[in-house]
Amino acid sequence: MTYTRRSLLKSAAMTSVAAATQPFLAAPALASSSISIGSLHDLTGSLNAFGVPSHMCMKFAVEEINSNGGLLGKQIELKTYDGQSNIALFPRYAQQACLTDGVVMLQGAITGASREATRPVLRRYGVPFVYGTIYEGGLCERNAIAVNTGGNQQVVPLVEWALENLGKKVYYIGADYNAPRNFGLWNRVVAAQNGGEVVGEEYYPLEVNDFSSAIRKIQEAKPDFVHSCLVGAPHMAFYRQWAAAGMVDQIPIVSVVFGGGQEQEILTPEESRGIIAAYNYFEELDTPENKEFIRRFEASVGTDHPYINGIAIGGYNGPMIWAEAVRRAGSFEQAAVMEAFEKGFEWMGPGGLMVTDGPTHNVTQDIHIGQYADGTWNLVETRKQIRPYDYEGRCDLTEHPDNTDLLTPVI
Amino acid sequence: MDQIMIMGYTVIYSVALLTLISLGLALIFGMMGVINFAHGEFLMLGGYATVMASHAGMNIWLAMLVVAPLSVAVIGALAERILIRRLYGNVVMTMLATWGLSLFLIGLITTIFGTATTGVSAPLGKISFGIYSIGVYQLAIVGLTVSMVLGLLYVLNRTTFGLVMRATMRNRETAASIGIDPRRTYAMTFMLGAAISGLAGGLLAPLSGVIPTIGAAYIARAFVTVVAGGPALVSGVVATAGLLGPIEAVLSYLASPVVGQASLLLAAIVLLRVFPKGLSARWTGSE
Repeated sequence: MTYTRRSLLKSAAMTSVAAATQPFLAAPALASSSISIGSLHDLTGSLNAFGVPSHMCMKFAVEEINSNGGLLGKQIELKTYDGQSNIALFPRYAQQACLTDGVVMLQGAITGASREATRPVLRRYGVPFVYGTIYEGGLCERNAIAVNTGGNQQVVPLVEWALENLGKKVYYIGADYNAPRNFGLWNRVVAAQNGGEVVGEEYYPLEVNDFSSAIRKIQEAKPDFVHSCLVGAPHMAFYRQWAAAGMVDQIPIVSVVFGGGQEQEILTPEESRGIIAAYNYFEELDTPENKEFIRRFEASVGTDHPYINGIAIGGYNGPMIWAEAVRRAGSFEQAAVMEAFEKGFEWMGPGGLMVTDGPTHNVTQDIHIGQYADGTWNLVETRKQIRPYDYEGRCDLTEHPDNTDLLTPVI
Repeated sequence: MDQIMIMGYTVIYSVALLTLISLGLALIFGMMGVINFAHGEFLMLGGYATVMASHAGMNIWLAMLVVAPLSVAVIGALAERILIRRLYGNVVMTMLATWGLSLFLIGLITTIFGTATTGVSAPLGKISFGIYSIGVYQLAIVGLTVSMVLGLLYVLNRTTFGLVMRATMRNRETAASIGIDPRRTYAMTFMLGAAISGLAGGLLAPLSGVIPTIGAAYIARAFVTVVAGGPALVSGVVATAGLLGPIEAVLSYLASPVVGQASLLLAAIVLLRVFPKGLSARWTGSE
């Protein structure tokens, strides 16, 4: 029961809580024939374009595990919590999941802010946190597993590809908060390493929806491609105004976030034509694993489902990788599951081979580059087995098991 | 040369944009004294009306220029009848009521259409100046804003309806004593303000897209413009927009968008410190 000892050491004030919760955590794992895991996503509110498809995939993953005989002889019960696009609710539901509902794993909290509000709660109660979305990278904590791509895993292959195929001059435009600034840092690094030149780098507040001056500046800088990390509904106005100014066929746009919020369905086909994105998954992937996955998925939820993008797929990959770790550990207990994850195992997902990375608690995976046209993503190239970044050696949980800081690259 | 032309265009467009989002509020807040926190949602509804009509197969211009103002006028009339009418003269109450209305409309639209809706493309293609190219539609917005300003000036100053409106807002009792029905005039003015907001929202929809919460992007700037504009509704709004718009546009261009936004608000504060009753108090003599 190392998790109890650790939380005791962390904070003397938590002693009574940890002691009181232990029976709740242990009881369902041992006694009943089913065991609970939690899905904490934004199912309503402004962020539900991210939450709903992710939750849908998570539900399907649980369905698959159960129909294949469950896990360690137990059926999995999925407890669903709706974060309602309201950060204040995340720690509250996380607490409820751990204390009242006795979940043995919780996945979700898509935005960086909700993730940072949620993971300390799960750490306190020793319940593994699985993070399923693309993110800026740097989640480096023993109680957490990031199964999707961190900043470098998307930006490095995408920008390298663009510098090889589109030209050497890049203009970076992003939303003004943590993750896009981090992606911007990677953009600069990759450009410098590959003889590229960043001819502009600009960040826009999230509520801005007039991009006239942004477009003027890009036209002046004459880049070979634009790297966009604009996020959220107001920022989609950029693509509309870009198209209205007749720029769609003039300068290509690459992005690591476009499509994650189903942007291609909210813009008109004309406005999103030609945009190039990099994710660990596209529905269009032409592999037997993916075709089989889509067939099973649609047999379960029907064909009229939201597009499964590189963010949503984390909802499926997360529980599957966690379940594999549980099988290998032969236990639902946090320490044993994490130890199994850290040993490094391979799991074949719909997007390709995934290998768990012990030191970083992230996952090595394939990245696919796709270009949007005529209502579909056309696959351009796949870059195999991109490793998570180790933050100059600072993210090594075998060396520093107590790290919980979110790391940023020093470059 | 190209750069000067494009800079000139950017400045003019910024003035037009600020004027466009503020005109409807100028009537409802500036003239009637109703602090309409649902102004942003009137713009939002205009956008939805345009997109829905266009998706239903209607010509985009008809959707923007006719459907958007008419449908928001109807919603405005309903809101006035049910809610606002009871609260004229009570500033705090109108503020609370319209805030509630704003939340209600956001919730209603989210329930019906969800949090995101496929938009419509801007019509008309592009026009190039050297290395620059701009959407012709954005030029059309400038033109349409100018026509809206001229039209509103004409209605307010040259028609009987405008005269009745101005008279009623200035002195309700006197207007009533000569046979004007003030309740009807208030209702008509509110409806006109809503229609103008709806038209503005409709015109902006192809460039901004439609989401239930889009009002938040406009409301602060609209209030700043109308408050700093002062007593002369239309000319005050245009003058303030002419001052604040370029400050934001030029500084966004030269420095960064954050600096541009901050400068707009800073300039508005300075403006109100120097002209506490608004810019147009200078020439209307109500100082």
